[in-house]
Amino acid sequence: MKISVIGWELPPAFSGGLGIHTVNLFSIIGHFHNVTIYVPDLGYDFPEYPFNVRKIRLKRAKFISGYAVIDDFYDAVMDYNDRVVESFDPDGVDLVHCHDWITFPAGLRIKEKYGIPLVVTFHSTEFDRSAFFNPQERIMAVEREGAQNADRIICVSNLTKRMIVDHYGADDRRIRTIYNGVDPTPYISYPEQKRERNVLYFGRVTSQKGPKFFMEVAMKVLELDGNVRFTVAGTGELLPEMKRFALENGFLNHMDFPGFVSFRRAIGYYKRSSVFIIPAISEPFGMTVLEAMISGTPVILSKTTGVGEALNHVLSADFWDTDRMALYTISILNHSGLLKTMSEFGRIEAMRFTWRKAAISTMGVYESL
Amino acid sequence: MKDVMFYFELHQPFRLRPINLTDLRGETRDIFWDEKNEEIFKRIAVNNYIPATQHLMEYGIRSSFSLSGTFMEQASRYCPRVIDVIEDYVKSGLCELMAETYYHSLASIWNDEEFTRQVSMQTRSLKNVFNYDPVSFRNTELIYNDHIAEMAKKMGFRNILAEGTDEISSRYNVNHRYAAPSGINLYLRNYPLSDDISFRFSNRSWKDYPLTADKFARWISLADGDLINLFMDYETFGEHQRPETGIFEFLKYLPRYFQEYGIDTILVREAELRHRTRDFISIEKTTSWADKNRDLSAWMGNLMQVSTFDRIRECKDKLGDLWGYFQTSDVIYYMSIGDEQDFTVHEYFNPYRSPYLAFIYTNAALDILCGKNYGKNVMQ
Repeated sequence: MKISVIGWELPPAFSGGLGIHTVNLFSIIGHFHNVTIYVPDLGYDFPEYPFNVRKIRLKRAKFISGYAVIDDFYDAVMDYNDRVVESFDPDGVDLVHCHDWITFPAGLRIKEKYGIPLVVTFHSTEFDRSAFFNPQERIMAVEREGAQNADRIICVSNLTKRMIVDHYGADDRRIRTIYNGVDPTPYISYPEQKRERNVLYFGRVTSQKGPKFFMEVAMKVLELDGNVRFTVAGTGELLPEMKRFALENGFLNHMDFPGFVSFRRAIGYYKRSSVFIIPAISEPFGMTVLEAMISGTPVILSKTTGVGEALNHVLSADFWDTDRMALYTISILNHSGLLKTMSEFGRIEAMRFTWRKAAISTMGVYESL
Repeated sequence: MKDVMFYFELHQPFRLRPINLTDLRGETRDIFWDEKNEEIFKRIAVNNYIPATQHLMEYGIRSSFSLSGTFMEQASRYCPRVIDVIEDYVKSGLCELMAETYYHSLASIWNDEEFTRQVSMQTRSLKNVFNYDPVSFRNTELIYNDHIAEMAKKMGFRNILAEGTDEISSRYNVNHRYAAPSGINLYLRNYPLSDDISFRFSNRSWKDYPLTADKFARWISLADGDLINLFMDYETFGEHQRPETGIFEFLKYLPRYFQEYGIDTILVREAELRHRTRDFISIEKTTSWADKNRDLSAWMGNLMQVSTFDRIRECKDKLGDLWGYFQTSDVIYYMSIGDEQDFTVHEYFNPYRSPYLAFIYTNAALDILCGKNYGKNVMQ
C-alpha cells in the first residue's frame, strides 16, 4: 500500500506526544508499506527513517537563524494544510492518514479532490485541550468535519471515542480504539533508585491536567502525615497559581517545582517517587501513566484519563475527588506491601502496551478500507 | 451400588466498610459494612438458602452442610427464616451439620490454640441454634494437611474432607473412603464432577451442555469407585446458577435418575457404615479447593495479603472481640490478584471490585481501631 501521512511533529522537530507517536508507529508500518510523511519545514534535518519525509515550506512563518517562529498558530495550521494540498502527489496513493485537527483540512480536501480514502486519528479533542472551558468553535468545526467525513477513525481510548460520537456525531461503526505503545528500554536501563516519600505530578501545568487537584491532595495528605514531599515537574500557565496555593496554605516547604524536566531526568523522578498522580480533567490517553508504571511507580489517575480504562493495576478516582486520592496516597506511602504489589504488577501490565501492537491494529484499519 | 455424598458450604463474611479520608481523621469507629452485608445476605437467602433447602428436603436428597459461625450470626440478624428452613431439613434426618471454624478463618495454618477455640465456638453455636452435635469436620475452603486432620481427630471428629487435587488423584482413586495418618476418615472431593454442576452447568459453550439429571446420573454410575464426593459452594443453586438455568429442575429429577442407576445420596457421617477404608493417605503440603493452584495462594499470593495477614495476627489485643472477624479468610481473599486472566473473575466476587481497595480499606480499618502503625512490619 502507498500511504500518505499528514503529520505535524516529527523528532527532532518537537518531541511532544504527537511526534513520538508518529515516529514510533510509522517506523514499524514503514517496513510493511510505502509511507510518506508530510511535515512543516521548520528548518530541521531528519535522520534516516524507514519512511519518506516531505518537508512543506510555510509562507506565514518567520525564519530566525534557520528556525521558524510561528506567530498565529491557527493561521500557521491553515497555511500548512494549504501547502500540503498544493504540493500533494496523488499518484498511486491508497490512503491518507491525518493526525488531529491540525492536519484534517488537508486530508479532507485531498479526499474531495482525488477521491483518496481518509483515515483520521484523534489524539485529543478541543474539549480535552480546553478542559471543557471555552473550547474554540473554529477548531471544533474542523474536528467535526473530520469526524463526520473520514472513512475510518482511530481514537487513542474509548473515552475519546465516546467524546467524538457524542459531540461530533461520528458513526461509531467506523471508529476503532487503538492504544498507544511505550518503549520500555530507557526506563529499564535506567538504574533503580531508592523510593523516597515523594509524590509526583509530571506534565504541563494547565487546567486540562488538573494540577490544582494535585495541590489539594498534597494539602490533605500533609494534614495527616507531615513526612511527605510533593513534586510538580513541568511548566505551564498555572504554575504561579500552584506556588501561591502552597504558600498560602503553609506547605510550600514540602513542595518542589523543578520546572521543565527533560525526558532523561523524568525517569529519575519517576523512579524516586512512591506515587505518581495524574488528576487530569480530560486526558485522551496519558502516556505518563505507562511511563510511571514501567518505572515501577504506583499510579493514581482520574477516571477521565483514557488509558485507565485498559488498566487493572492502578487506583482511580474522579478528578475532583481529592479526599479519595489523598487516602490512596497515604495508603501507598505507609504500606510497602501495597507499594511493591502495585509496582510489580503495574510494570508487567504497562509492558503490554507496545508500538508493535498499535502498528498491527493500525494496518488492520488500513486493510479494512 | 454407588453412593453420592453431597457437601455444601454456607458462609458469609462480615465485610469491612469502604473507609474514606474523613474516617481516618478519627471521626468514626464504625468499620463494618452493615448495609452491604444485609443486602447480600437477604439476596442470597431469597435466591439460594431458602429455595434450595426446601427443594433438597422436598426431593429427599441427603446432604451435609457446613455453616460458618458468621453465617449463623448473619442469618439470625438479617433473615431468621433461613435458620428455620435449615432446621426443618436437619430435623427431617436428611441433613448433617458439620463443624468448622466460627470465622471461616485461616487459624488452622498458624495457631493450633486459636483454631481449637474457633472450632469450639462454632460447635457451641450449632448446639445453641440447632441443638446439634457434629461428628464431621471440614476446614475453611477445604484447607487441609495431616496436621489439620490430626487436630480435628483430637477434637473428637470422626470425618474430615479434603480436595482431590490432581496430584492426589494421580495416585489414588478419589471415589473411595480413606483415612488420614491420625486415623480420621478422609473423603476427597471429585472436582471434575463437582465442577460440572457448580461451574459448567449453564455454560453453553461446554460440549456436554445441557447437563441433565439423566446424563449426570449416568456419569456417576460409570465412574470408577463406590463413593462420589460432590463438594461445592451452596450458592451454586439459585445464585451462581440462576433458577432460569434449570438448576432446580436438575435437582428435582436427580433422585429419580439416581434411583434408576442404583445410586443413593448419603451423609458424611454415614459413609463409614457403608464403605471400607481403602488406604491411608498422608498429605503434608497444605491443599485447598481454591483457584487453579489448589493451595494457599488465594490468600497468601502477594505481599499485600501476607503483610495484612501478619498485621491482623499482631493486633489480637487491640482488636479484642473483633479479632476473629478480621481473621475471616475473605478479608485477605479480596486482596488476591491471581492470574492476570483471573482478575475479572476475582473482581466479580470482590465487593470492592479491586484487590488494592480491599487492602486499603482493611488496613485503614486497622489504623482506626489499633493505631496507625500498630502491628505493621515496617520495611520502608
